[in-house]
Amino acid sequence: MSDGGDNGRPEPRDSRGERPESVLQRRLTLADMLDVGTFNELVKGFADLYKLGIQVFDEKGNRLAYIKVGNGDFCGYVFSFPEGQRCCTQTVARVKGGPLATTQNARAPQSAAGTKLHGMITVPCFTGLRYLVLPILWEGDVLGRVVFGPFTPEEMGELPTSLTDLTPGIDLAMAQSYLSKIRRAPESTIVKVLLHFAQLLETLVAAGQKTYLTSQVHIEATLESNRDLEAQNRRLEQMNVQLKDMDRLKSSFLATVSHELRTPLTSIIGYSEMLAEGLVGSLNQEQTEYVRTIMDKGDTLLKLISSILDVTQIEAGKVRLTFEPVTVGDLIASAITSVRPQAQKKGLTIDMKLPGRKVEARADREKLRQVMVNLLSNAVKFTPKGGWVQVLVTEVKFQPEIDADGWRFVVQDSGVGIPADQLEKIFQSFYQVDNSSTREFGGAGLGLAIVKSYVEGHGGVVRVQSELGQGSRFEVILPVSPPPPRAVISPPLSEAPPSPPERF
Amino acid sequence: MQLNHAQRELTVKVVYYGPGLSGKTTNLQMIHARTAAEGRGKLLTVETHDDRTLFFDLLPVFFHTKGGYTVKVKLFTVPGQVIHNATRRVQNADAVAFIADSRRSAGQENNSYWNNLQDNMRENGLNAAQVPIVIQFNKRDLPDTKTDAELEETRARGKEPVIGAVAIRGEGVLETLFAVLQLAYRKMDEQAGLTRNLGLSEAEFLKLVFARMDVDGTQVRDWLAAGGGPR
Repeated sequence: MSDGGDNGRPEPRDSRGERPESVLQRRLTLADMLDVGTFNELVKGFADLYKLGIQVFDEKGNRLAYIKVGNGDFCGYVFSFPEGQRCCTQTVARVKGGPLATTQNARAPQSAAGTKLHGMITVPCFTGLRYLVLPILWEGDVLGRVVFGPFTPEEMGELPTSLTDLTPGIDLAMAQSYLSKIRRAPESTIVKVLLHFAQLLETLVAAGQKTYLTSQVHIEATLESNRDLEAQNRRLEQMNVQLKDMDRLKSSFLATVSHELRTPLTSIIGYSEMLAEGLVGSLNQEQTEYVRTIMDKGDTLLKLISSILDVTQIEAGKVRLTFEPVTVGDLIASAITSVRPQAQKKGLTIDMKLPGRKVEARADREKLRQVMVNLLSNAVKFTPKGGWVQVLVTEVKFQPEIDADGWRFVVQDSGVGIPADQLEKIFQSFYQVDNSSTREFGGAGLGLAIVKSYVEGHGGVVRVQSELGQGSRFEVILPVSPPPPRAVISPPLSEAPPSPPERF
Repeated sequence: MQLNHAQRELTVKVVYYGPGLSGKTTNLQMIHARTAAEGRGKLLTVETHDDRTLFFDLLPVFFHTKGGYTVKVKLFTVPGQVIHNATRRVQNADAVAFIADSRRSAGQENNSYWNNLQDNMRENGLNAAQVPIVIQFNKRDLPDTKTDAELEETRARGKEPVIGAVAIRGEGVLETLFAVLQLAYRKMDEQAGLTRNLGLSEAEFLKLVFARMDVDGTQVRDWLAAGGGPR
């Protein structure tokens, strides 16, 4: 609530900030509700029809309409005498701004019995002419007034002697001839005309109020939604900045930690190697076995840490690709070699199908090799004992996916497969389909994120198809000559997974 | 409420709220029909047609006090589906008439609109406990309507006055208005001291509101004569 005091504006009661006063809380003025131009035309038509001057004022005395009919010559003539001017000014002031009550020279109008007058008053002019004044009432407020006249009362004969007394030197015959141009009618008739006009005005105001309120409220509602949206945008922007900060922090944390881990790890592996090779004295068989285990596990750990470093470098935008001519078949053969021990352990077969013609392409040899190794070791990791892994390379030809000449490298397996709803997410860093603590397959969830980044760095794309329990098929499409390397390979992490399309 | 001492004007805002088709507009139409033209404005429907539809009815009722104040009571209907937007417009409601559908089948909808009202008042920074609410159980003439005993149960569950109504026949409409204005007055009196500052007592306020309304055949006539009101 507000205790308006001097201005009546409500205090903002909303903690989210000040909101402009609603049109519903404001008192409407006549000018709000009437289209002044159209209204003037209507008043003119009405004045012409009834041969009567009409003026309409709002509550502050501003004139909204003013149509003179017939009285110009007479009033002008009277006004040319000093005393006439004084009296005329007085009458006009009374009519325009005086109280809407039967005081100060005003009286109740003459009208047919039973006529509802709605606060109408008659204000006589010192010349014997008359004005009728009607308040414009709207929802209990006086919004303004309508002034009809001056008109000559039917019963008026000669001009009153008061006129000659007040304005010495006036030519009564001339005044009388001017007077004949002014509408002469019984007061009760003019009362009826004015009441009719009032009805018309009420209809106009009602329609105007509705239009005005509708449009204003609509504007307010729209502005309100706009303010809401802006506030929401600001919140989202802030959150976005925070998230980016956190993401940067995470990358930097990982880089530091990985680096700090790698340094001592290299020593662990180095010293184990020296022990295993008997550089500091021979070990018995059991001891050698233990030391080799330390070395193996150390290697695994080192690989993991290297992947983490790769990803953090990608995320930090520090990876640059250097393209050189490579023979794809050789590279694949080398990649297969590095996963063969694990495959043999699980009894998997690895088939390789190369095209008849050698595929020669430009690529970053190390990165491309890593793409192949990552895909192959995934295939080996997720394929149960006795399964198969197939590697396929196609000939160079036009590849619509990348809109250029290129080749495909496909790794297919008979493994556990990937659920359809996870296919989009597997390329995110640290994402694992089975995220439970008791998951069956190890790994940090970085391999595919690295694959995606490197492939895209080559201007290629990576595709996946999979059926749960049947196996997966990863397809890398690469151009023969990749575009010049971008300074930054976009990190897969910051790329939000696309939200599913809205159904409705 | 807006109290403007300079213009000597008190504006009271009452919101009719409830599920769609529960009879909010009918209530206003009946009040309009029962009030003499000098005491009310036109029943206005504001409606915008586009993707964020806004729709409400507005009926102003007014009177002048002996102390020279003009009191305007603005009655709004707010359809539930746009409550979020609309309560902002009418957020400083002095009281709410919750128009419920008495039919048993409407119980769930009544509940959800009731909760919605509470939520939205909270969202708009209004303490639901500070805005008095009157519950009207409309459509008492339809089959499947709750029994009087069931209404009694609803009444016992809260502090809000509960009034049965058949708005389409005008039954219970003025009673609801009486109840809601009585509570609105008490709240405003507490906040702004209407008795002390405006010389406007509760009885006088209610008498003047209903002076230009046809209260024949309603309980309002008895309440005005004897003092009092609904439970």
